[in-house]
Amino acid sequence: MPMTTALLSSLDQLFTLATLLSMMIGVVAGVIAAAIPGFTVTMAIVLTLPVTFTMPPLQGVATMLAVYVGGCSGGLISAALLGIPGTPSSVATTFDAYPMARRGEPGRALALGIWASFFGALISALVLIVAAPPLAMIAVKLGPWEYFSLILFAVTVVASLVGKSVLKGLMMSLLGLFIATIGQDPMMGVPRFTFGLDLLASGLPFLVVLIGIFAVSQLAGEVENPAELQQNKALIQGRIRFEPFKVLREVLSRPGNLLRSSLVGVVIGAVPGAGGSIANLIAYDQAKRASKTPERFGTGIADGVVASESGNSATSGGGLIPMIALGIPGSAVDAVLMAALMVQGISVGPRLIMDNADLAYGIFLAMFLASAMVLVFCLLSMRWFLRITEIPKSIIVPVVLICCAVGALALNNRVTDLYLLIGIGLMGYLLAKLDYPLAPLVLGVILGPIAETNLRRALMANEDWTLFLTRPISLALLVLAVLSVAFTVRRALRQRGTE
Amino acid sequence: MTAPTPTASGETPVGEGARGQALANAILNATLAALFVALFVQADSLPSSMWEPLGSGSFPRLVLAALVVFNLSILTQSLLTLRRPDCKAGAGAAAWFVQRRLAFATLAAFALYALSMPWLGFPLASLLFLAGVQWTLGARRGRRLAIALIVAAVFSLGLYWLFGEVFRISLPAGRLW
Repeated sequence: MPMTTALLSSLDQLFTLATLLSMMIGVVAGVIAAAIPGFTVTMAIVLTLPVTFTMPPLQGVATMLAVYVGGCSGGLISAALLGIPGTPSSVATTFDAYPMARRGEPGRALALGIWASFFGALISALVLIVAAPPLAMIAVKLGPWEYFSLILFAVTVVASLVGKSVLKGLMMSLLGLFIATIGQDPMMGVPRFTFGLDLLASGLPFLVVLIGIFAVSQLAGEVENPAELQQNKALIQGRIRFEPFKVLREVLSRPGNLLRSSLVGVVIGAVPGAGGSIANLIAYDQAKRASKTPERFGTGIADGVVASESGNSATSGGGLIPMIALGIPGSAVDAVLMAALMVQGISVGPRLIMDNADLAYGIFLAMFLASAMVLVFCLLSMRWFLRITEIPKSIIVPVVLICCAVGALALNNRVTDLYLLIGIGLMGYLLAKLDYPLAPLVLGVILGPIAETNLRRALMANEDWTLFLTRPISLALLVLAVLSVAFTVRRALRQRGTE
Repeated sequence: MTAPTPTASGETPVGEGARGQALANAILNATLAALFVALFVQADSLPSSMWEPLGSGSFPRLVLAALVVFNLSILTQSLLTLRRPDCKAGAGAAAWFVQRRLAFATLAAFALYALSMPWLGFPLASLLFLAGVQWTLGARRGRRLAIALIVAAVFSLGLYWLFGEVFRISLPAGRLW
């Protein structure tokens, strides 16, 4: 089918009332699901999947894409207003958006995130159209050596990014990697460190760790002051302003940060398995390194919010690259999207563009459309979301704790996950009080199984350890990992010297 | 959560309360180091495979060994901080816990909620948790108490209905009924 015919056919299928309506519902569902701590985009997509079975293929996929793109932006809401990342991909958003909100600028934090998310998704959709096949070819050339080195790089980046001490950051990353080894060995299925307890038999689900570490410990920290609670104080004091078009200028005045972070998101998203949980942190790290005032990152500055949000939103397009070009899902969400297409009898991979060009172009266009819908919905609804900050702490804290409990329960339908959630929450609260950064631990838990599997695969393929140092991309990533720690240590030493 | 500029050493800031924090850090890292050494030894008994050079225990052992090194480094730093003459004691551990009594009470109530859920079921356990915690956090009378009870009813029964009827995910109903 010629390209113009395919494009026109996809436009015809996309711009129907039924498709537009189901996409709009998908956007709303995605934003709300990701905004509630404990609920994830993956959960929302899985719940959407059965609904799409009765829809025509493009409408089904477009609806799921709408949930996905909405979810990428929705994580921003709880990250900025509560300091709890709604999804793993908004961990870095909490670094600057939350301090900004607590300073009395929650409207600005949200508006910055909304625009950055929109531009990030837009840039990723453009890259998807132009460069999907070549990028996918590069992405699949990465072997287990490169994957392991990439994980090592991500872990060192986050350890050196957050907290007052690199040592504590690295220790927390390693603790996360260790926690990920509890349960079944990913390759042999052997139980490890379970001590015969059913509670630990299937390991610690990363979502439970994420909710426990961030949400439970953060919420406990909110109710420390009896005087504040007696006065019925809300999370954020003072008049809240939401001026999105004023903030748009602020975002557009950072074209370098926006483009760099979005491209980081696309590239990391295109690497199967890496996804948004790494992209937002690496985009944040790159923005900090490129900044003339890196010491201001983490204090509530616009550059931090723009980097994280454009980086994580760009992974939505990036993740589609290996799926559409090669039939390899880049993340759990992409795997569900792929399943939705396969249910309709459509094979994903290189033949998709050849056999169903209208569908492939329809997916690209649906990305654009979903991003625009998310923008409109967020601009219209954020004033209402901002009301969350006016709710007294005595109400919002127990309610969000219940949402966390439901999230943990709904994951595997096991009450034992709830026990784990509380144990991890208490551990997170105490560790935060001792100034241990929590983000590296969560990232360690998420990336641990990928790191171990790839290390073991690499050595199964070839027992030579030096391959990690002789393969160029792997070496480059390892050098970057060392540099990220060295750079932070040097800067800290310099600062101490000037004090 | 914030991302302040890290220091190279991870030195505990000296001043009021620094002594308590350094002591807590020292105890935590000494305990963790001992635990990780024990786990390192236990991991040795995990089976290896004839198909791969790294067995089931190799990766955890690698991580545990690195963890022990970091624990000992932080322990050393904490001990050095404790020896500094400007490292002053804070209010003490008991006072620290008393100051944060509401946070610990909320966490304790959350634990009780989780333990009672298999018996009471999600709706009743959630209703009691929400009402109880809001009461503990200050909703004791009048309008605040009425709002607290409405919130408790909506988020316990409402979520149970939403998940059961709309999402088809059944939350625990309780063994007592």
